[in-house]
Amino acid sequence: MGKGKPQIVNTIRTLRFHAGEMTQAALAEKVGVTRQTIVAIEQGRYSPSLEVAFRIAEVFGRPLADVFQYQAEGG
Amino acid sequence: MSFKQWSAVIMLAVAALVGAWVVYDGLTGGAAGPASAVAARLLWAGLVMIVLNLAAVIGAAIVAAIVTRKEFHDEAADERDRAIYARSMRNAYFAVSVGGIVTLFLVAFGYDASVAVYAIFLGGTLAGAVGALSQLVYYRIG
Repeated sequence: MGKGKPQIVNTIRTLRFHAGEMTQAALAEKVGVTRQTIVAIEQGRYSPSLEVAFRIAEVFGRPLADVFQYQAEGG
Repeated sequence: MSFKQWSAVIMLAVAALVGAWVVYDGLTGGAAGPASAVAARLLWAGLVMIVLNLAAVIGAAIVAAIVTRKEFHDEAADERDRAIYARSMRNAYFAVSVGGIVTLFLVAFGYDASVAVYAIFLGGTLAGAVGALSQLVYYRIG
């Protein structure tokens, strides 16, 4: 929901692939959000709350920094 | 599109339909009557709006369920839905505020009370349309 170019990138698509091609719907159910929200997060159109971000990381058994990365302006 | 987005599309369409009818009614002599008659007619228009919305949402859910052979229902709102709803309501609030100010100006400049009644109704309809359109835009662009 930020303005301008998204600065938070994520590796959810890759992590889903490595988790046996977990579907977006399955991830959404585990996290407790809608599939549309997972789609929006994956595409960088929505930055989730910290709570949802932690829940996503927990599903994949990875630390938060492996799932979401902050890219500084011009970085 | 999700159920929430379809509901927004329907709300936008109904607001456009009823809004167009109200403008047509106002321009073709409807505003000439007493304010109480105009208000009563617009209350009916508001009721028609609510019924049309409900019927269209139910109809769309039935048609979608038949076409996709899956139950098409609203999901529980998550944090993104709530954020989009809040931002859309902010825009709708702005629209209804503009409608209120326009109404005050109309009365201040000596327009008939029945014209003010139309302005109030159109302000509310515009707010509904702005809210629905905002939801669609925020769901698309984030």
